Amino acid sequence: MEVLRARCLSRTYSKRVRGSGFLGTLRAYFSNAMQTVPAVQDVSFAIEQGEAVGLIGENGAGKSTLIKMLTGILAPSSGEVETLGVVPAADRRRLSMSIGAVFGQKPQLLWDIPTGESFKLLKAMYHIPDSVYRHTFHETVERLSLGRLLDTPVRQLSLGQRMRCDLAAALLHAPRIAFLDEPTIGLDVAVKEDVRQYLRDMRQRFGTTIVLTTHDLKDITAACERVLVLDRGQLKYDGSLSGFVYEFSMERTVLVEVGHAPSEATGAAFAAELAPLGVTLDWQAAQRLRIVCPNPAFVPMVTSTALRHLQITDLTLQAPDIDSIVARMYRADVQRMRPSP
Amino acid sequence: MTALALPPPSFIQLLFGFISLAEKTAASKLAYRFASFISILTNTLGYCIFLLVWREVYRQGTAVSVPRAEIFPYLLLAFLVNGILTLGVEARFNQRLRTGAITSDLLQPLGFVNFQMAQGVGDAMANSAFVLPVYVVGWCFLGPAVLPASFASAAIGGLSLVLAFLINFGLSFFVIQACCVLHSAYGVISMRLALHQVFSGLSAPIVLFPEPLHSLAKWLPFRHIVETPASIWLGQVAGARLPQLLATQVAWALVLLITSQLLARSLVRFRQVQGG
Repeated sequence: MEVLRARCLSRTYSKRVRGSGFLGTLRAYFSNAMQTVPAVQDVSFAIEQGEAVGLIGENGAGKSTLIKMLTGILAPSSGEVETLGVVPAADRRRLSMSIGAVFGQKPQLLWDIPTGESFKLLKAMYHIPDSVYRHTFHETVERLSLGRLLDTPVRQLSLGQRMRCDLAAALLHAPRIAFLDEPTIGLDVAVKEDVRQYLRDMRQRFGTTIVLTTHDLKDITAACERVLVLDRGQLKYDGSLSGFVYEFSMERTVLVEVGHAPSEATGAAFAAELAPLGVTLDWQAAQRLRIVCPNPAFVPMVTSTALRHLQITDLTLQAPDIDSIVARMYRADVQRMRPSP
Repeated sequence: MTALALPPPSFIQLLFGFISLAEKTAASKLAYRFASFISILTNTLGYCIFLLVWREVYRQGTAVSVPRAEIFPYLLLAFLVNGILTLGVEARFNQRLRTGAITSDLLQPLGFVNFQMAQGVGDAMANSAFVLPVYVVGWCFLGPAVLPASFASAAIGGLSLVLAFLINFGLSFFVIQACCVLHSAYGVISMRLALHQVFSGLSAPIVLFPEPLHSLAKWLPFRHIVETPASIWLGQVAGARLPQLLATQVAWALVLLITSQLLARSLVRFRQVQGG
């Protein structure tokens, strides 16, 4: 059952063209020159009830703009979007009862009153029945370790504490869809793990659909099985997380430990045999060799060749983790990625 | 595609959320004890200086068409009404727009207008606590002239104050729409404050304004935010003029609120949210 659908969704921003410095700014007062910046371009996808989807993309890729269109905060410039069967920008108030949203570092709790008071306010605004509230409140407070924060005004909380409270506030009414825009920003490692576990449990128990953007890709691997990759507003990949890792990380590294360094002739013969495969050999020490294969299919041949030429004491095969794939993608390689079908 | 799980909230549910938000906003505004004390003190001092200036005007024998016995209670009431209705709607919105925190305001189940209005009510509740001591001080100096002329004056004055709140909020919401389009609305907010300062009757009753300012003030909504409720409370409005003024207040409140809502809907396509 689809809960989110975007069809040819685009959003552009207009910004005034300004020169630099005082004179440039002054000149812009008398000029109407505007620049149109595409934030999201022609994006189409659908998300089913209960799915957990990670949005990946570097800063400015359009992730937050996309979430704002899905929640109705922004209207698309063109294309169509439906969330829980309604057009979000047109029916935002009704939709808000069924969704929860966290926008990292943008607090939604009242700044000057104790956190517990803010939760009571949310209970009133979302009309959460007492029985549901008691259950979700106690569970959220316990799971996110909020107990001793409830009497503290939001302004006195640390960034990490505030993020936890914001997350709790967004999920207190057990929403059908949770939009989480960098929800673990500023959290320490242990709390991040608690948050991830909480999201997994929530999804399992309530069938909550999760749309998550983050720069900590462990959040994605822990909570999502599907990723959407955005690059400069365009959807470059839509598919499973494992598929993404497989498709965009063909490279494998074989680490070889040898009993003693091979002779020069053996080393040369070994290198000559592997040369046609395009592998890279990197002797990191006399007894430690790092072999980078451009394709996983070459690994068996590389391994058997190594076994024939070298006295191997240990052998390890490494696939790149998602962080290194995405880091490389952000740097330059995104152009190589195939567009989504 | 699945249908929405929750039905839209009922009026009673909305009202409950509205009152709760207003109460929390008021509590939030009163959270700083020292700031609250300073606020009361400066309000009182400001009013005293204001009265001294007017006392000097009368002492010098300047011809003023409003009798001395009427003007001082009026100025006190104008000061109080303005104090109560100094809402933080624009300032709060502008600040949240600049930081991008407005995103969460736009997703509140009360709806954006109600969410802003409830906070405005909270502001007015907190402001009332600030200006009440000024009223007591004024009463000590000016005597029963500052009290409502009758029970009816008090009741209708109260009603007029509610309508004044709606007009003021309508104007604030209008300014907010400008914020959405202009991204930073210091200019618009300054203009609105300047017009309010001049044309609301805060510094002097509008009857004292020279032409064409006097005629202009009559056609603007600002006088109905301060002068109208203050005058009605003091019983300075009588006969057919009373329902006429109330009807004008209702008309301005409706026009501003409806226009702002329509504007908000039509501007949704142009809205931009800053800060990622």
